[in-house]
Amino acid sequence: MNRERNIALWFVAPAAIVIALVVVWPFIYNLILSFSNMSLLHIRDWQLIGPRQYQKVLSEPRFYSILGKTLIWTVVNVTFHVTIGVALALMLYENVPGKKLFRTLLILPWAIPPVVTALTWRGMFHYEYGAVNLILSKVFHQTPIQWLNDPIGTFAACIVTNIWLGFPFMMVVALGGLQSIPHELYEAARIDGANAWQRFKTVTLPMLKPVMTPAIILGFVWTFNKVDIVWLVSNGGEPADHTHILVSYVYRAAFNLYRYGYAAAFSVLIFIILVIFSLVFMRRMNKAENPAT
Amino acid sequence: METWNSFSSFKFQVSSFFLLFLLGCSHSTSSVIHLQLWHQMQPEDRAVLTKVVDQYDEQHPSVEIELIYKETEELRSSFQSAALAGLGPDLIYGPSDQVGPFATMQFVRPLEQTVPAERLAELDSNAVVHFRDHVYQIADRVGNHLALVYNTKLVPNPPKTTDDLIRIGKEITRDTNGDGQIDQWGIVWNFTEPFFFVPWLSGFGGWVFDGKGRPSLDTKADADAFRFVKSLRDDYKIIPPDCDYNTADVLFKEGRAGMLINGPWSWAGYEKAGVPYDLARIPQVSSTGLWPAPMVSPLGYSICVNTNGKRLAETGKLLNYLLSDDVQREFMTATGIIPSSLKLREDPSYLLHAHMAGSLAQLEVGRAMPIVPELRAVWDALRPAYQSVLGGYLSPEAAAKQAQKSADEKIREMNEG
Repeated sequence: MNRERNIALWFVAPAAIVIALVVVWPFIYNLILSFSNMSLLHIRDWQLIGPRQYQKVLSEPRFYSILGKTLIWTVVNVTFHVTIGVALALMLYENVPGKKLFRTLLILPWAIPPVVTALTWRGMFHYEYGAVNLILSKVFHQTPIQWLNDPIGTFAACIVTNIWLGFPFMMVVALGGLQSIPHELYEAARIDGANAWQRFKTVTLPMLKPVMTPAIILGFVWTFNKVDIVWLVSNGGEPADHTHILVSYVYRAAFNLYRYGYAAAFSVLIFIILVIFSLVFMRRMNKAENPAT
Repeated sequence: METWNSFSSFKFQVSSFFLLFLLGCSHSTSSVIHLQLWHQMQPEDRAVLTKVVDQYDEQHPSVEIELIYKETEELRSSFQSAALAGLGPDLIYGPSDQVGPFATMQFVRPLEQTVPAERLAELDSNAVVHFRDHVYQIADRVGNHLALVYNTKLVPNPPKTTDDLIRIGKEITRDTNGDGQIDQWGIVWNFTEPFFFVPWLSGFGGWVFDGKGRPSLDTKADADAFRFVKSLRDDYKIIPPDCDYNTADVLFKEGRAGMLINGPWSWAGYEKAGVPYDLARIPQVSSTGLWPAPMVSPLGYSICVNTNGKRLAETGKLLNYLLSDDVQREFMTATGIIPSSLKLREDPSYLLHAHMAGSLAQLEVGRAMPIVPELRAVWDALRPAYQSVLGGYLSPEAAAKQAQKSADEKIREMNEG
């Protein structure tokens, strides 16, 4: 028994050590910094100052406005990722002509580095030379929109870019889930006279839930923390620092203004928000699946 | 028994893997010293740097140099993180405004012991960047200043004043293919970025700091400069409605802009693109009679505080080589830099570069870029205000007030204890 336990420990050890080095230690260090005054003037001689940084973050109205924007960003993105991903997975699951080609094309956004995607989309939203306005004006005869000079336009541009980038992941997950649903269930539903919508609602959706739940939680966490797209499409929060989500704001505080203690407290709060969301979401999903518990 | 043997073998493999992993993480212990240089040089400069470093590598088999390019902002943030973690490159190359924060945070070393005083005396005094009584950066070039770049085919004579600029701009801004859209612009530049706004701010009599080193953004000059840039776009319509760095660069390279405001890092690219161009001063502001003063800053090398012992000695040798006249001459002839070596400026090849005269004319009216960390707060305060004026959300006066308030606040936050 002891020997077996030793073998197990040795198998787990490499992963445990790597996780301790790259996840646990940075997390603990960040937690310590969040209670410190580490900043430009106190980079080497920082001291613990208690919860002052947390008080500062929570007393700023800006925190709440950016939190609101981050929630909109996350919910809109994840909703579109899941809806488009599941819809495309259903289409690809059927025997459509050119299925392999479509599958490859639809996975492409996922395969392209996000930096390239972000900068390409930024170019596409250019007022005069961008493809979006050219289509609007030449094809639909609409007035071009100042996408990147307007806070709402820039935010919308960031969301569109991230939707394009994110749906393939949900599509691949949903496709995997669909392939694991036994055909007998659909046959039984057909015999019972269920139409396509009823089959989707009573067979596909419940069977996809166990696969999609972790994917949605991951999607939520990733999107909530997705700094690169917002940063690159909005060119660092433009116009006028209006296009920030919590993580891009933290990045600016840490690396532009050298407020490490403040940024650490800010990031711990982001972590807490995400932990609460994940726990609540998982509990609700579990309840929905097992109403008796 | 067999299971136990395979388990022992597995243990051995895991231990070996970690040993190798840890060795990989540590600095090389072999006789070859691996040095890293992080820089933000543009492709034309990068080619010269690679060439001179390859030559050094050949002459010094005991040293291996790795060049890593990072965009200016990424260079700063990555260096901050790396230096804080006790790592980082041995040498970092970039503009002088990074010296203030890096020296304050003790991420870079004083260089007095590394480069001999005699060599420092041979360099332009602006190239030896001091911060609180120590030298923290030594530049291989000075300038890095914005100037007016004009397409000689579209603009045979550059404008002398802003009135001329508007007149010429109106003449050459046009719809060339009759589709109802402007295809050729009078002047372009990255007009949403405050660094490019500074020449206009100074042209209207302002500057980013006052005499006591405090931000001075809530001024008439600031509001007037905001108004002027906006009028070029909205009233005179000689600049595009939306123009960032890349748009301006491409428009000029494609011959779709008569004039451009950009710095030395870009000029070789216009030559390569086959644009017939020359350099001139950014036009004098007609209403004030002042020449716009772009920020002038050296570009140079600093040594990371985490470089020690033998590595430090080798880094010092490399630094002296990179600052040598031979290396500066390579850059000067290839990309037209203004070398920091005073001796090289007497070299006949110095003024041979086609655009050196225009660059020097602009340099004469430039102003040294402050290297204090507070400059970062000024940029961050100025950018939103400036963009709010261009977006039509704030009046120039309100934006100037907001910029001042925001800069004061950010400096207070940066210096919080």
